[in-house]
Amino acid sequence: MIEIKGVTKTYGKKQNAFLALDDINFTIPTGTTVAIIGKSGSGKSTLMHAISGLDRPEVGEVIIDGENILTLKQRKIDAFRASKMSFIFQSFFIQPNETCYDNVVLPLEIAGVPRGQRRAKVEAALAAVELTDKIRKKASTLSGGQKQRLAIARAIVNEPEILFADEPTGNLDSTTGGIVEDFLFNYSKKNNATLIVVTHDQELADKCDAQVVIVDGKIASITGFKKTTLKAKDEEKLLEPGEEEELLEATNERHDGGAA
Amino acid sequence: MKISDTIRRAGRSLRQAKARTLLTSLAIGVGAFTITLSLAGGQGGREYTDAIVKANTDVNEISLTKKVPVTTSIQEYSPDAAGMTTDGFGGSLPTITNKDIEDMLKIDGVESVTPNYAPSVNYITAEGKKKFVATISTFSPSVTLDFKAGSVSGNLKDDEIILTEDYVEVLGFANAADAVGKKIEINATKLSTTFAAQPETKDFVYTVKGVSDASGLAFRSQGSLLISSDAAKEMYTYINEGTSAYGQFFLAAVRVKDASQAEAIKTILNDKGYDAQTAADVLGTVNTFINVLLGILLGFGALAVLTSVFGIINTQYISVLERTQQIGLMKALGMSARDVGRLFKFEAAWVGFLGGAIGSGLAFIVGTIANPFITDALKLGNIYLLKFDPIQIAIVVIGLMLISVAAGIFPARKASRLDPIEALRTE
Repeated sequence: MIEIKGVTKTYGKKQNAFLALDDINFTIPTGTTVAIIGKSGSGKSTLMHAISGLDRPEVGEVIIDGENILTLKQRKIDAFRASKMSFIFQSFFIQPNETCYDNVVLPLEIAGVPRGQRRAKVEAALAAVELTDKIRKKASTLSGGQKQRLAIARAIVNEPEILFADEPTGNLDSTTGGIVEDFLFNYSKKNNATLIVVTHDQELADKCDAQVVIVDGKIASITGFKKTTLKAKDEEKLLEPGEEEELLEATNERHDGGAA
Repeated sequence: MKISDTIRRAGRSLRQAKARTLLTSLAIGVGAFTITLSLAGGQGGREYTDAIVKANTDVNEISLTKKVPVTTSIQEYSPDAAGMTTDGFGGSLPTITNKDIEDMLKIDGVESVTPNYAPSVNYITAEGKKKFVATISTFSPSVTLDFKAGSVSGNLKDDEIILTEDYVEVLGFANAADAVGKKIEINATKLSTTFAAQPETKDFVYTVKGVSDASGLAFRSQGSLLISSDAAKEMYTYINEGTSAYGQFFLAAVRVKDASQAEAIKTILNDKGYDAQTAADVLGTVNTFINVLLGILLGFGALAVLTSVFGIINTQYISVLERTQQIGLMKALGMSARDVGRLFKFEAAWVGFLGGAIGSGLAFIVGTIANPFITDALKLGNIYLLKFDPIQIAIVVIGLMLISVAAGIFPARKASRLDPIEALRTE
């Protein structure tokens, strides 16, 4: 379970200060798939960084399994990410000159998994994304979709409890994107792992159990959560499925109008 | 992250930038090459001089000359300024007389004092052969000689002589072994009769006891024919008796009973107005020269290494910049700042290792090939000037690795401080 309490992040100082995240509160039950939706610059990536401990907001708590990771020492957060979390990025970030094996084994090396156990884990992860035959191939020989599948294999090889996907299908066409999405949701379902997808793709967001819409650093609407997981002041933002699109459009219009 | 995994990853990163790695390594390689060669030269040089001094001097022996008086003002002429003799170069040198020798013998611990007789003879010949110029020196049992044929155990008998290789053929012997046991003649003139109508000369006959090799080690007896001390004295007496120079020597050797006393007796002799040198002094003088030379060469090597340090810093900085996203990813996946820094330090260490191995290896190959030519050109006999010591090479390589790591500290720090969020920002 991930509890996000009053997370606030400011960039810059004094009159130049920019509120990237403004008092964000919600709770993600273990095994849920959550979409964080918003336009670029809305603060959705900042929120993901805060939940994963990559960024440290000055105010608020991110409590994962009873521990506030924002007050942990850097080494503990690193160890936490190495053993419990993983990431998938829009631009894959795979090492093209290395073999698929060497790409996938990286998190195991970082987590200090004994050498004897690595091969089996890498093979299992590659099998899960149907890239078993590419194990000795250089990553640069793969197609775009295969590269993202390789990134998924790298993300799931150490069996993380929380998987972050930042625009995982942003660089893929809809067919290959669909395949990649299936691999992600399958992993979450099979392992009861929490999947947090950051996207502006409504279709992908709809496949998730819950949706959090971020506008200008604030939660504009939340869908799919039980009321008990929310703070009282956010309960009014809890919408029924289908309602949130209307609201999103409305806020976007307001946002655009303000910008123009 | 395990250290071994970090080392392997560092090696793999370098393999992916082969040209850059190789070029950076080569810069260090130049330094390693110079340093390895200078060290080998220093080692070989020291061993060479050590061998020379050991072969030509005796630890129980102190060689001495009389100090040249330093005159600060014009001196009044004195008709009986005894003990001064012309040195043949227009000046006069103080000489050691028999009285000095008697004084020296009174010093506690002195076993014997032998003046350097060095009789100047007219020629050497064998029966029915041409006459050849020769120099005569005194044989010392403590001096090591390489024999081409024959050998000497203990002291030389008074009627025996050791020839050098060069005389074998001209004196009509088939080879060195053939010369051993044969008789040769040495002719000398009695100097006091030089201006007589018929100068008196004498033939000294010796049996060849051995033939010494033209060794690279022998410097005192190079080209000199060796006879026993008593035989030299006899010849000297015949030649010089009755002249003003008789009984005056430029050089003498003091033999001490115990080598440990050599230094103390040397001090006493110096106080008495002699320039005394022990075997250790001779070695020290030569080695000082070699060490200075070695220092200069090492300085060049160090300069090359210093230059390459900037090369490493530069390439490692570029490498960090190029791999910003990779570093960001590794940090996002939970790699600690310490491990990231370590990765880049190990890369630098690999570069240092490669450079050191390439440079030292090349130096070893080039040195090994060049050794016979150097020996030939410098006429060192059977001695190689460049001595490669595996431990020394290992120290050079390890030292360069450490220097490279030191050079890699700044880029590594930059990498370890990289903010993963910034690094992973998609453009």
